[in-house]
Amino acid sequence: MSIQKHKVKHLSVERKQAKWGVAFVVPSIVFFSLFNFYPILNALYTSFFKKKILSLNAPDFIWLENYRYLLQSSSFWNSIRATAVFTVGTFVPLLIASLLFAVLISSVKKGNKFYQMAFYSPAVLSSVVSAAIWLLIFDPRGLANQWVNVLLNSWGVDHNWLADGTMVQVSTMLVYFWKYIGYFIIIFIAGLASIPGSLYEAARIDGATGWQEFWRITFPLLKPTVVLVSIMSMLQCLKTFGIQYLFTQSGAPQGPINVITMNIYNTGIRDHRIGRASAMSIILFVIMLFFTWLQFRTSKSDSVDY
Amino acid sequence: MQTKSIDTTLQMESPSPRKFKGLFSITWQKLVIWFLLVLLTVFTLTPIMYMLTASLMPARDIMKMPYRWIPRTIHSENFIKAVVGNDGSYIFLRNIFNSLIVALVCAITTVFMSALTGYGLAKFKFRGRNLLFMLIMATMMIPFEAIMIPLYMVITKLGIQNSYTGLILPFLVSAFGIFMMRQYLITFPAEFLDAARVDGMSEPGIFLRIVFPNCKPAIATLAILAFRAQWDNLLWPLLISQSEKMKTIPLYIVKFTTEMHTDEGAMMAVAAIASIPMFILFFALSKYFLGGASVYSSRKG
Repeated sequence: MSIQKHKVKHLSVERKQAKWGVAFVVPSIVFFSLFNFYPILNALYTSFFKKKILSLNAPDFIWLENYRYLLQSSSFWNSIRATAVFTVGTFVPLLIASLLFAVLISSVKKGNKFYQMAFYSPAVLSSVVSAAIWLLIFDPRGLANQWVNVLLNSWGVDHNWLADGTMVQVSTMLVYFWKYIGYFIIIFIAGLASIPGSLYEAARIDGATGWQEFWRITFPLLKPTVVLVSIMSMLQCLKTFGIQYLFTQSGAPQGPINVITMNIYNTGIRDHRIGRASAMSIILFVIMLFFTWLQFRTSKSDSVDY
Repeated sequence: MQTKSIDTTLQMESPSPRKFKGLFSITWQKLVIWFLLVLLTVFTLTPIMYMLTASLMPARDIMKMPYRWIPRTIHSENFIKAVVGNDGSYIFLRNIFNSLIVALVCAITTVFMSALTGYGLAKFKFRGRNLLFMLIMATMMIPFEAIMIPLYMVITKLGIQNSYTGLILPFLVSAFGIFMMRQYLITFPAEFLDAARVDGMSEPGIFLRIVFPNCKPAIATLAILAFRAQWDNLLWPLLISQSEKMKTIPLYIVKFTTEMHTDEGAMMAVAAIASIPMFILFFALSKYFLGGASVYSSRKG
């Protein structure tokens, strides 16, 4: 009898606690419903309409017409190309360089902290500030020309950093690389630090070379971090906007660096074509969803125990 | 010789140092590492040094062919021009103030709401908890760029475009913040909570007086992330801020740099002023900055 009573009381305490738990979580759920789930569903819904901001006419339901238009539009494909070129051209060098430098930093004892801070400091600047600095560096009379000319021993050549269609793409990649290299180095350092040193000692007793140590121990155990960094940097590159926006605003040609976010902004806000911009947003969302799914899949199959 | 040098340069890849094989190879290896690290340091720090030195020079010195790294005199006119603005409206100060307000409010609400929700998810058992957690995590996959236009429509419908409320509202809490707080609080000892309950403390009281004060490292990291995200935010203010008065720093920089007759020195002075708060935070709390980046590596699967 008394045991049962005790049990009932215990249950009610738990139930009361559970209520508090729900109460703590509900505000955020309401927030996310209003500012995340509703907008993405709304974007999907709007993408089936021919809709303009400020237009008084009721929007026409045109089913998949916006998507059909986009798939035939050269401007849209150009944006896909610009985004893909930017993403691949940025995240591959970022990945390789950040892994290399994380390994290098972990191997030095002196100045470890200094290097980390020095490499990370560009990430502290906002993307608009970094774009503004590089705008001056890429000026025809600026540092970029001076230094490259010293390296190539070519005097007085202008490399058209911001004027030439190919060079302006390279320039945006360079700015992005500069800004984020330190950030990814630090993620890799954290990954390296989690590999137990005893593995290396064991390998050394077995007579492994440095090359073998890297490919047999460091790399396989770091693979989850590599996957994570590559997906994260890829997702970030897909969303790039600030640098391209400031560069085009200051006169760089728009075509080569008209990335998808800039296209969404221009179509939706400048040209008021909400339906078409929403269709583009949904395509961007699906692309990013695919890469996130890829991350989940690969990181699950690659889980390592040590 | 060739193979040996490859072999020795690759030994650096082991985190713990290895006993040297020979004096010659060790110095070679160290030299290569040192060279590469210094090279990257120069690459990352040069543009920042360029910004700082150029902000102290008159425009004609900045665009001189061999760039002189040490300003001849301190040319403080740049900073005056930056603050006064091209049209003499002092709007820059107002815009800095706007950025500070937005970034601070977002940082505070993000930290508080994330801690509260993270605590609810980590330490309470209720039906549908995992589902709610998964839902919140799912929002991380929705890029802001994909929802900005519907959000903009919501904000205009509420009539709060061009206001602080409109700038702040979509960033009150972040899914990543909740995730971080939940991971942090999962290991929080339940005995403390139970002891407080036995003492008759209310659940909100436990959160405010026991849980919240005890997750300082996570709070600092998250606050920095949230503050920086808003200090850096260009896209959302671009949609929401319509009057000059409601613009934030990134918008001011875009406007200032694209105005035809802006001189380069003043441009760098604006950039330098805009970076001051972040650099102060960085030097004072570098531990949390560097920690904040590595938090991501716990995000496996």
